[in-house]
Amino acid sequence: MALSSIEDARRHVRIHAERVGHVSSTDFPGYYPGEDHSWNLKYFTKNLLVKIQRVSARSCEFDLVGVDASIANALRRILIADVPMIAIEHVYVWNNTSVIHDEVLAHRLGLVPLNVDPSLIEMKEDEVATDRNTIVFRLHVACGRNKDAAKGETVPQKMYINSDVLSSQLEWQPAGEQEAIFQDNPPAPTNPNILLAKLRPGQEIEMDLHAIKGIGSEHAKWSPVATASYRLHPHIRITGHIAPPSIPKFVSCFSPGVIGVRTNAQGRDEPYVAAARQEGMSREVLRHEEFRDKVELSRIRDWFIFNIQSEGPYAPERLLVEAISVMRDKISVVRRAAAALEVGTEVDIDMG
Amino acid sequence: MNAPNRHELFVLEDGEKGVEVIEDTKIPNAATIKIFKQDHTLGNMLRSQLLATPSILFAGYKVPHPLEPYFILKIQTDGSITPTEALEQAGNSLLKLISDLQAKFKAEFSYKDVEGADGMQEDPYGTLQGGVGATSAWAASVRDYADYT
Repeated sequence: MALSSIEDARRHVRIHAERVGHVSSTDFPGYYPGEDHSWNLKYFTKNLLVKIQRVSARSCEFDLVGVDASIANALRRILIADVPMIAIEHVYVWNNTSVIHDEVLAHRLGLVPLNVDPSLIEMKEDEVATDRNTIVFRLHVACGRNKDAAKGETVPQKMYINSDVLSSQLEWQPAGEQEAIFQDNPPAPTNPNILLAKLRPGQEIEMDLHAIKGIGSEHAKWSPVATASYRLHPHIRITGHIAPPSIPKFVSCFSPGVIGVRTNAQGRDEPYVAAARQEGMSREVLRHEEFRDKVELSRIRDWFIFNIQSEGPYAPERLLVEAISVMRDKISVVRRAAAALEVGTEVDIDMG
Repeated sequence: MNAPNRHELFVLEDGEKGVEVIEDTKIPNAATIKIFKQDHTLGNMLRSQLLATPSILFAGYKVPHPLEPYFILKIQTDGSITPTEALEQAGNSLLKLISDLQAKFKAEFSYKDVEGADGMQEDPYGTLQGGVGATSAWAASVRDYADYT
């Protein structure tokens, strides 16, 4: 038996003018007498739908249909906070005569996204920095006057050499085996144009930067996504008759392209829902007396439109796979503990 | 100043057990399970999976206080299985569900790769900087506002 159609009212989260109704899912056993909603892997597999709408080098948008909200939310939370990434953590300052304070500059450096594949680096467990768990960069920039600049020049980039410290000036210092491991893809910031500091002649910055692996829960710099979000697919139902003179106003109440106009069998114009997906659910239509009871706005509870913008090392498709393996680790920890409780033995769990 | 270390949110301390069970003496077949150093990510998933099990009478979770990193799962069954067994089953179902999801993701994205490799033109912006997987055929041919390099 296939998933019920999108018209099925049980799948709708109803959107009224001032509130949202029918929010929680009701398809669990015992809610509807006589119906069996117990979880069934075959049924779930048949109804699960993943459809990619758009993929680019950095971002992707895809539809996930047929999962519960808790799973979609867990996926989103894990993408933001639990998938590991490499970022600068320790900054050893040899010389900083710029106007930016050490700690402020260190903070900015930490937030620079690096393109290092986290699966090639281990988590740093203790205080020892080895070539397996640390990537070392060096930043050495000194600003001087540009002797060839025209007299009366006012643009600082032309008047001075190195007046802007950009992320492209971070130099990777390979250590040990890193030279071989990172041959094809030397560690560098993903975006070379990030402005870190501004200098004037006589000012110099010299520092060693150690980058380590971490997760977003510890600090946002280790979050691999610029953001990961989802929205529920909108659903619009036109239940009443809209008089042709007020059709343009009706169409303008929705986002552009959502409502189309066609000629029906009687030869009169009637509005129809052309593309509910683009609707922003501004509920403008519910503000007008004449349309208020002719339209039903809702969202489909298990149709998630995900939008993931990857920050650095992971391609969007790989991010999802990594998120799922993190999810699997989390669940298996608890499952093993539950199994041990059953048997009565102690289990050494490492949730770190 | 008084903020605890961030890693205490998800790393178990030495000797700290991850899961504790408190049997409920007043209600038959009920248990309260306390899971440490986990948050809504796991709790909500377990709760919704437990709810879909037919022999469960009650399943709920809460994070008692956001400053304390643990959640409580209350389970009551109708007697055919014990609460801890129900939790284990829910865990197993979730793992199967997730493998399914992963298989679908991989299938969907690899199909895109194959399609891209067949009829793709030269990437007009040249090779993209760094990034693992950025060299895959499909990934390089479409650019949007998030591709700033």
